[in-house]
Amino acid sequence: MSTTTLSAETERPAARDLADVPTPGFGRALQAEWVKLRTVRSTGWTLLATFVLGAGLTILMCGLNADWLASDSADESPGSFITWGMMIAQICAVVLGALVVTSEYATGMIRSTFAAVPTRGRVLAAKALLVSVVLFVVGTVTALVGYAGGNYFLDRQGIGMALEGDVLRAMFGSGLFMAGIGLFTVAVGFILRHTAGTISAVLALMLILGNMVNLVPGTIGDWLVKLMPGNAGSPIATPVSFNPGLLGPWTGVGVFGLEIAALLVLAWVLVRRRDA
Amino acid sequence: MIRAHALTKRFPGPDGDRVAVDGIDFVVEPGRVTGFLGPNGAGKSTTMRMVLGLDAPSSGSVTVNGHRYAASPAPLREIGALLDAHAIHPGRSARDHLRWLAASNGIPTNRVGEVLEQVGLEPVAGQRAGRFSLGMGQRLGIAAALLGDPPVIVLDEPVNGLDPEGIRWVRKLARDLADEGRTVFISSHLMSEMALMADHLLVIGRGAILADCSMQQFMTDHAASYVRVKAPALRDAQSLLAGRGLDVSQVDGELRVGGLDAAGVGELLGANGLVLHELTLVRASLEDAFMTLTADSVEYHAHSGAPVLEGATR
Repeated sequence: MSTTTLSAETERPAARDLADVPTPGFGRALQAEWVKLRTVRSTGWTLLATFVLGAGLTILMCGLNADWLASDSADESPGSFITWGMMIAQICAVVLGALVVTSEYATGMIRSTFAAVPTRGRVLAAKALLVSVVLFVVGTVTALVGYAGGNYFLDRQGIGMALEGDVLRAMFGSGLFMAGIGLFTVAVGFILRHTAGTISAVLALMLILGNMVNLVPGTIGDWLVKLMPGNAGSPIATPVSFNPGLLGPWTGVGVFGLEIAALLVLAWVLVRRRDA
Repeated sequence: MIRAHALTKRFPGPDGDRVAVDGIDFVVEPGRVTGFLGPNGAGKSTTMRMVLGLDAPSSGSVTVNGHRYAASPAPLREIGALLDAHAIHPGRSARDHLRWLAASNGIPTNRVGEVLEQVGLEPVAGQRAGRFSLGMGQRLGIAAALLGDPPVIVLDEPVNGLDPEGIRWVRKLARDLADEGRTVFISSHLMSEMALMADHLLVIGRGAILADCSMQQFMTDHAASYVRVKAPALRDAQSLLAGRGLDVSQVDGELRVGGLDAAGVGELLGANGLVLHELTLVRASLEDAFMTLTADSVEYHAHSGAPVLEGATR
């Protein structure tokens, strides 16, 4: 019985002073989220898929296309291929970002979470920070492994690239892009509170809608293409973008960052206002 | 201590707002088990969610130890709650579930092992919670409520899904916690369970408090027994019994006599030459009393202008 922690019958827990108990702050909320993230299998599987798809597909595409890229008929740069797998791995970032948030709504665990940490903004911030850091690290490592494997084939055709300048930037840029997508999805997850809805909405926005705006004619169409979140965020992750019409890498990341910030603010407002 | 003042929750609906909790006032005192009783949909869970700051009141307020729950310096050390046994990720083990809860409030990790042992889940602590039976899920939820060794404990329908042994265990746990001076607030839709567990009763129906009294008082007021008398000369019998200062009423061709046992009533009438056709001691069960009370609330609400019920102090 819990009486073991009470020294005597005369002690009334009702009157116990909480003043000597350290008030849990953001660090505690972050620790709790870290324990949560590590203790479900889906995290490991999702990150493994990120690595296998991200690095594996880059190596595969470089291996299959090195010959052509080195030939005179090539109309693409090897720099567009050296992080090819990250285009697919971003789906895993969407899945991780969604699961961290929406699995709690699906199971009702969000009520345990908000009862334990009633300052809800803290929960949102802790999840956002954790997802972005994990995806930055895993994304960067994945890109580096993909580079090492892919560049082996490019090197054999004499079109290898040194790990410097835009290539090096694309490695960390891949981590940054993945982190951004994770954050974006965390925000959408808090807004929609539904796993399938969140994953569909983000993928549709990033992959489908991002390409469909190409059909919009004129300057408006050009700008829509540039500003769609997936399009704005992706140039940072490649040394040479497939689509020359996109924003520059750092400008793009800036735009993507602003879009993420806007969504996070909306999520923060809603999560504080809504009943759990 | 939990204190609600004019606490109200309205949910917007297609044909106007639905009032789930209708301006209720109550105080849950420490050192006793307070039962929160009402039929399904009466507003129990909504009230408990408002206590924990999960739902925001439409108006009014509810405080725990004098402040809003969200303003608590250390929430889990101040109030432990079992709100929903399914508020657990099915892929996470029982131990890990308690570990993140402990981490969130800076509770020492040795408490995790202590509460697992206390609720009897130690042998299955490493298993994924999704494999747990409903009863095991309830025990895990109760372990989570006890984790911070809080002075206030709120349990929403804790005996749901428990086997008889588990139900007895919850009963004893609630008693022990109250005896230690804690505030224990337990909801149920089962009168029979509350009769065995609660010292004080808070009955809610259609979002309004119907009774706020001790269990003893509730029994006296709502589950009183009477002697049923059927006799050919009913009017004579009634005036005779009423003349002796007894509480007599005539309902459906029978007399209901309070204040004297069946033997006493029979002898009194026999001594005065009155013939009896029936003489029965009728004891209303608490379950019946509860049903009557809550059924009334539905009826009264349909007419508007709910009268104050006997036994209801607010």
